[in-house]
Amino acid sequence: MKHFDDELKNALRREEPSADFTARLLARVAQEKEGGREPVKEGWSERTSEKQNGATNWLRKLGAVFTLPQMNWVTAGAVATLLIASVIGVNRYRQHQFELQRQAEIAAEAEGQRAKEQVMFAMRIASAKLNVAQKKVKNTLQRDDDQQAVHQQN
Amino acid sequence: MQRATTLRHSETATESAMPNDALSRAKQGDQTAFAELVREHQSMVYSMARNFVRDGAIAEDLAQEVFLHLFRNLAAIETPAHLKFWLRKVTGHRCIDFSRRQKSQGGKVSVSLDEAPEPVSIFDTPDSQPDWMLRSTIRRFVAALPEKPRLVVTLRYQEDLDPMEIAEVLEMPLNTVKSHLRRSLAILKEKVTRSLGSEF
Repeated sequence: MKHFDDELKNALRREEPSADFTARLLARVAQEKEGGREPVKEGWSERTSEKQNGATNWLRKLGAVFTLPQMNWVTAGAVATLLIASVIGVNRYRQHQFELQRQAEIAAEAEGQRAKEQVMFAMRIASAKLNVAQKKVKNTLQRDDDQQAVHQQN
Repeated sequence: MQRATTLRHSETATESAMPNDALSRAKQGDQTAFAELVREHQSMVYSMARNFVRDGAIAEDLAQEVFLHLFRNLAAIETPAHLKFWLRKVTGHRCIDFSRRQKSQGGKVSVSLDEAPEPVSIFDTPDSQPDWMLRSTIRRFVAALPEKPRLVVTLRYQEDLDPMEIAEVLEMPLNTVKSHLRRSLAILKEKVTRSLGSEF
């Protein structure tokens, strides 16, 4: 076991990175110190941070459009038209959605009514059958009573 | 927290007693002093990353990130022993982060034991063929261990830390560290023996 431990220590012993490691790092540090962004380098971490920065860059550019000095009345008018069109569009969409919902509710109500009628019809049939059965039982009992009375007279 | 503080302040008596000129100068913004600190610890950080990812270029990238992070957080570093502790901890976290990000991107993280070729590097120049083969084989099998056991083995055999120190660095219960070590050693020994023959 001791032997294997030594082999592991030997295999995993420290190694130096490439000769320009410190210089490259210091360049990045200097760039960061100057307040600039980190230099873009081909590496997984840089690529990831670039992706993350993409969305915020886009927003920053959009915001910059509105701070430009040449933004005039035409631009303002275009923006206002766009906003009004958006409001109208949203309103129309909501009306359409409401109409669809109302139609769905009417359809559901009609379906419910139909189901109710079917149940009532079924209950009426069941009730009629029950009446017939009740009458038959009643007749049978009446006959039994009559026969018993005849026996008693005899 | 108490134990962590104890560890990072008492790693070795000599180390804590060493003059920390470079550290205090670096904290005051001296870039030459920061470069001194980097040169002093770069082999530790780079090797931890390299033993974890088994790719020199990615390891250098990770090591650069760790030192950039150090540059931004120099004010929080108290002593040279604390610096060493901090670097090991941050490197461990970065390695695991990298591995998880690779996994989520569908990348290949662990090198398959059967197909992984040993990359040619200046460090692998054979002194004698059997030594080189053994070293290469061990590194290949270590790189195939799961993330946390791999870090535990690296800290134990590269940095010569005892299980208690590893538990502090990786914020892991001591028994978990011991069990990772025991199991990893058994796996490694079995695989190396199978790969290189029973005479090992």
